[in-house]
Amino acid sequence: MATKNTSERFDTVDWDEIAANAPDGNGTSTRAYLAALGLLAVLFVYDLVVASGEATFAAVGVSYDVPLFHWVLAFSLLSFAFLGLLPLVRNRGHASANFAGIVVATGAMLAVIIYDGIYLANAVPTFSAIGWNYDVTGLDYLFGFSLLVFAFYAALPLYQNPRMTSYYWSEFRKNRPAMVSLVFLAFIFGVGIVGPLFINYPEAEFFRKYQPPVFATVSMNFVLECVGQQANGVCHGTWDYPLGTTNQGRDILTMIIYGMQISAKIAFVTTLIAIGVGTAVGTISAYAGGLVDEVLMRYVDIMQSFPTLILYLLILYIFGADLTLFILLLGFFSWSGTARYVRSNALAKSQEEYIKAVQLSGASLYRIIRRHIIPNTASSIVTDLTLLIPAFLLAEAQLAFLGLGDSEIASWGVLISVGRNDLSFAPWITLAPGIVLFFTILAFAFIGDAALDALDPEAQAEAES
Amino acid sequence: MTERPLLSVRNLKKHYPITQGILSRQVGAARAVDGISFDIAEGETLGLVGESGCGKSTAATSIIRLEEPTSGEVIFNGRDSAAVSADATNDVTKFDDAQLKAFRRDAQMIFQDPSSSLDPRMTVGSSVAELLEVHGMSDKQRRRDIVQNLLEDVGLSASDYDRYPHEFSGGQKQRIALARALVLNPDLIVADEPVSALDVSIRAEILSLINDLQEKYGLSMLFISHDMSVVQDVCDRVAVMYLGEIVEIGDTEEIFTNPQHPYTEALLSAVPRPDPRRKRQDIELKGIVPSPTNPPSGCRFHTRCHRVIQPDEWDLEQSEWRSLLNFRDGVVEESLDVETTREMLRTGPADEDVDVADARLRAELREEYDLPETLSDQQAERTLSESLDHLVEGEYGEAQELLAEAFVTPCEQEEPAYADHGGGHRSKCLLTNDQASLQSAPSLKND
Repeated sequence: MATKNTSERFDTVDWDEIAANAPDGNGTSTRAYLAALGLLAVLFVYDLVVASGEATFAAVGVSYDVPLFHWVLAFSLLSFAFLGLLPLVRNRGHASANFAGIVVATGAMLAVIIYDGIYLANAVPTFSAIGWNYDVTGLDYLFGFSLLVFAFYAALPLYQNPRMTSYYWSEFRKNRPAMVSLVFLAFIFGVGIVGPLFINYPEAEFFRKYQPPVFATVSMNFVLECVGQQANGVCHGTWDYPLGTTNQGRDILTMIIYGMQISAKIAFVTTLIAIGVGTAVGTISAYAGGLVDEVLMRYVDIMQSFPTLILYLLILYIFGADLTLFILLLGFFSWSGTARYVRSNALAKSQEEYIKAVQLSGASLYRIIRRHIIPNTASSIVTDLTLLIPAFLLAEAQLAFLGLGDSEIASWGVLISVGRNDLSFAPWITLAPGIVLFFTILAFAFIGDAALDALDPEAQAEAES
Repeated sequence: MTERPLLSVRNLKKHYPITQGILSRQVGAARAVDGISFDIAEGETLGLVGESGCGKSTAATSIIRLEEPTSGEVIFNGRDSAAVSADATNDVTKFDDAQLKAFRRDAQMIFQDPSSSLDPRMTVGSSVAELLEVHGMSDKQRRRDIVQNLLEDVGLSASDYDRYPHEFSGGQKQRIALARALVLNPDLIVADEPVSALDVSIRAEILSLINDLQEKYGLSMLFISHDMSVVQDVCDRVAVMYLGEIVEIGDTEEIFTNPQHPYTEALLSAVPRPDPRRKRQDIELKGIVPSPTNPPSGCRFHTRCHRVIQPDEWDLEQSEWRSLLNFRDGVVEESLDVETTREMLRTGPADEDVDVADARLRAELREEYDLPETLSDQQAERTLSESLDHLVEGEYGEAQELLAEAFVTPCEQEEPAYADHGGGHRSKCLLTNDQASLQSAPSLKND
């Protein structure tokens, strides 16, 4: 073995030694994971079907009924241990920063969840111990996890490959509307994520209802108490309520900021689910081919013809409107288009010679998909994203407008529907969130266009020719 | 050189099933590679030449098991694998996953198109280093050192490690591809037309680089090409493929000076020769390679062979015999469309003299197949005229019957066996079946 690494050459590598030192294959751990998952699933089904009326382990004399939270937690911990911790420990020293980062961060989050759910038993706000009165909900954890994924697998890679990033950036920057859109969206999501942590949800102040936005006016007939100037029976807006108030006297600007967080949650969580499942199904389908491909794609056909709206209405009547349910439903029923899109792209890519070359290197199927197929279909995934997210946001707004949304939350759709009856004299209640929604969706359209050009120069060349 | 060749391919077949219907019922097979056998000794370069579509690339991917061969054996006696255990199989086609992964260290491949053989989203360094990583080298810095050294070996600089494929020229990319093929220190490299996508000016550089590296590291090589002049430069031995079969194999020198198969002869006649005094024997192969789904009977080359054998009953000039067979095939396979030709010839009004029109049609049909006005053999001429009469009258069946019965070559009835010409030079042609040299064969009377 060469002692000085800089002089080591490929023809002096002792492969037998490397083979002897190489870690064992992860086949056994994958099998253990699948077995554990299977056991969990069997128990869960048993709980639902057989022991539906009584405690889960009543048959063995333990009167412990597993709540849904514990099921989810067990599944999360299992996945974390086998997919995160175990590979990280096995490859210690060689694991990528992305993987190590997400495993550590997810571990920290899981610890908080366990603290919150089991130690505090959801009785007091999560961070009350440090004097911060913010209670984290289940959806917040999901949101947090999707933000982690975004940070470690979208933002960090851009930082790690500065040359690639600067190339994309210079391409992207050529599109001015897209730049404006990017700033706008960064603002929307930034304020949306941070704002609600520090700004309290606006109180209903009945006497201050229908305050007009600053520089606007409303007839005193509709206002009980005008905060700003009154003249000639008209109430002027003030900076106290820059965008006016609702029929309950809530500040619209603050509500829009809360709405931003809900939009961000919908955008991140739903997309994470849709893209995750869609990419997995699409690449597996493309790469496995044959019967697997056939079964998966026919399932996609079934899902695309499945009336998600009716399922949502059904769930709405059984469990009541709930944003978490809505997001999960949307995520798990909207990956079919992505799967098909990714599959066709991956099929095209898998015929390339570099994929053959990687196959020839002896790389595993997982590696080929993870390291070569997915990065090379990333441009189409990103463009697909910019179409998916606006569709999700609009879907939520539409359902909320129809009164089918979660009326407890301050989403833009809910706010729009609140102002519906007062359109004649207080249009700002509907207009303000409507305009923000409109520009958000427009921004995604511009960004999608620019991203396609920047990430996939070939597509641009084709479009121009 | 050991007595055992590094690679022995025995009767390798790769058939692509052609399926139909919902149940994917197999209705046939494209026999892309149909029973090829050859050996490659340690340090030797074997050229595999042939037209596009003859199965060269399929042979390569089947040997290296990028595709599963249908049948046959690929015996690989690598430097390492021979030592591993005597009882384990050394037949590549029967390797299990672990053996196959070990085999990947011993045999690598270079692809034709350098622009698509490197992942555009990876730096070229990590593309090369990935092979080391896949085979268990987990030390990142060590991988980087090895690859940087190797990049310098193939004529690039160590700093190119962090650049992306689109920043390189085609020739540079092919150097990187070469580095990737070399990085695991293999015994065998399969090069699938490694220079045919490159500029002529760069070809020589890459070829000499391949030659240098091969000598330095004692590599064996399967070099696939359709370019005879490249093969002449690079290869120690040459195998000529036609329609899934090897028709001739032998030492390069021997093949180039003394070809023993008409197909090789035709390929060689296309090589430009720098000597203007040497008369070039220009052999033009007409038509395309027949479909491998339904290869011709007997000798597969008989449909295009310029030396196709005349039975004793005829005494035609060779070119006439070739044209006559083409004409026969045209009629029998109904690719000859008399009515269209008639329509094309009809320039004047429709009430033209029928006899004159028919005569013109006959002349046109002869011309289409390069048949002279009268054949040199009178008996043959009579049969031909008769069949033309039938055709002009629209009696296809009669014409087909007549031609198929009268003009038959032994080449389509009998499959030739390999004839040995000494020194490992073998060819598969009826003319050389009795070890006679092709050049002295009586068939080529006049050209």
